[in-house]
Amino acid sequence: MMSGKTENRLLDVKGLTVEIETRSGPAVIVDGIDLHVDKGETLGVVGESGCGKSLTMLSLMRLLPNKIRVAKGEAHFNGRDLQRMSNRELRKVRGGDIGFVFQDPMTSLNPVMRIGDQLAEPLIYHRGLTRKEARARAIELLRLVGIPGPEERIQAYPHELSGGMRQRVMIAIGLSCDPKLLIADEPTTALDVTIQAQIVDLVKGLREKLGMSVVWITHDLALIAGLVDRVVVLYAGTVVEDAPVDALYANPRHPYTRGLLASIPKLSDAPASRLTSIGGTPPEPGRRPEGCPFAPRCPLAMDICRTHVPKLEPVSAAGGHRAACFAVEKAREAA
Amino acid sequence: MSTVQTQPAILADEPPVSLWRDAWYRLKRNRLAIFGLCVILLLAFVALFGPYLTPYDFLSQDLEARNQAPSLAHLFGTDDLGRDVFSRVVYGTRTAFVVAVVVTAIALVIGTGLGAVAGFFGNPFDRVIMWLTDITMSVPNLLLVVVINASLKTPIAQWMEARYLETLNPFYRETVWIDFLLVFGSMALISWPPYARLVRAQVLSIRSRPYITAAQALGLSNRIILTRYVIPNALGPLIVAVSAGLGTAMVLESAFSFLGVGVNPPTPSWGNMISDGLRVWQHYPHLLAAPAAVLGLASVAFSFLGDGLNDALNPRGSK
Repeated sequence: MMSGKTENRLLDVKGLTVEIETRSGPAVIVDGIDLHVDKGETLGVVGESGCGKSLTMLSLMRLLPNKIRVAKGEAHFNGRDLQRMSNRELRKVRGGDIGFVFQDPMTSLNPVMRIGDQLAEPLIYHRGLTRKEARARAIELLRLVGIPGPEERIQAYPHELSGGMRQRVMIAIGLSCDPKLLIADEPTTALDVTIQAQIVDLVKGLREKLGMSVVWITHDLALIAGLVDRVVVLYAGTVVEDAPVDALYANPRHPYTRGLLASIPKLSDAPASRLTSIGGTPPEPGRRPEGCPFAPRCPLAMDICRTHVPKLEPVSAAGGHRAACFAVEKAREAA
Repeated sequence: MSTVQTQPAILADEPPVSLWRDAWYRLKRNRLAIFGLCVILLLAFVALFGPYLTPYDFLSQDLEARNQAPSLAHLFGTDDLGRDVFSRVVYGTRTAFVVAVVVTAIALVIGTGLGAVAGFFGNPFDRVIMWLTDITMSVPNLLLVVVINASLKTPIAQWMEARYLETLNPFYRETVWIDFLLVFGSMALISWPPYARLVRAQVLSIRSRPYITAAQALGLSNRIILTRYVIPNALGPLIVAVSAGLGTAMVLESAFSFLGVGVNPPTPSWGNMISDGLRVWQHYPHLLAAPAAVLGLASVAFSFLGDGLNDALNPRGSK
């Protein structure tokens, strides 16, 4: 999975920078992110709220809201730059080659359209199926994502389904045109814990069955441990650590990753003990500190951290594990 | 209102229903709205089948039976030319419905189209369309219609007559439809801005909903997103506005006829009849009462139905 060969790259993002227009000029939200997804690989993108996880993925597909735009950077999908494509070409990629599953299944389905029609729409538009063929495929897709009685369910409106069922429908829509890449943006945040596990298992099974790549955005490191091959940790719009999932859990290098892992509650914690958290909040766009963006919250911060930005550099001989931190050596000692 | 306590406890053990069935279910429980609907259906029936319902022609004069009080022979009495008032009210219903439906339809198409484009595509369309809307709304309605009718009616009629004399084509002889055309045009001109504003506001709020981004992420074209995702979701408030708008258009048509800039006599219109009746109401109150009562009834019916639809299509409070 860790091969760095270009022909195996499905998605390759280089120096992606996203800015928001504010009254005092543009403010950087995503700051020169590099990341890649190989064919068949599942990538976890982790970070707390407001780290630019969703915006990074939306900007790939040029779906950014008003006043937010990509300032620089490239995003190659199958060798073609998504940022420079014509709208017509891009529409074929959206939904056709890249499926998207959104965060909130309650509001991400059109409330006045039967779910069968919502499933059929991209099939008719991208694949040129007839309404009848699209209907048959919609039933098949609903069965694939584990919705009971799909023949009746295609007649249902979104408000007649539970949250978990709606998220399954969202996944079915995302999968409808056999995408090469499925981007799931916190698809389980709005669901309760048992349903979360079901959805994770569902995607895991489908990934193997359909042989697609998956990008799973989350703030829940524990949830994706068994799902992803590699994890990219984002903080304030920068990649702070990029590692195979096992290495990340066994030996996290960046203090932020350590903080995230430490804040997962454990069964061995004393009952009624306080949950661990990382002090402070991420910097607001436009008020990013000089130097390392994490320095103000970092327990290991040194003088250099407040003046210089650390680069993402390999931290293990085995390769593939990279972190952006001046205190990496210190962190290893502390480990 | 007696409808308040009917709102909770819906859908507890109901089978799955569509949004529209759901709305109909709620509407049925609103007595005033159903009353309004029944009155409107009755008036629509009368408008459609008017010629079969009236005992007299609306033009036939019986100079021996002028200004008669209501009786079995003349349900609403007769007017100063001995014409049957009931028949004239029935034909007036026709006029009122035709004008209301056509004017609302034109205003709706213009308003929805411009509003949706302004809201969905944003500037510069938004700015230009909103300028147009504001300019139109800033001119007093009645004044605008009076100016249009007063300045265009005579020249067009003269031109038509000249054409007729030139060609002897009977097409140019018929001038009643010019009346209607001018009334339709001028009323539609003043009626579209509220629809445009409503649709624009709806579209602006819908455009930022997650399901629109989701539809864009599916690579659907703007046309599909606008027609299948945005407009259907904006429909609820629009239906309410149309119901109220139909009533307003009827009242407006009567107002213009009353002022003499609407449909010309002898085509019966409630406004004309009210205007005529007003001159003699101290002696023959039925000449004023009959058309005024029907106009009032129609107006109230549309507004009740509009209120009921508003409650039925906005399930937020009750779900």
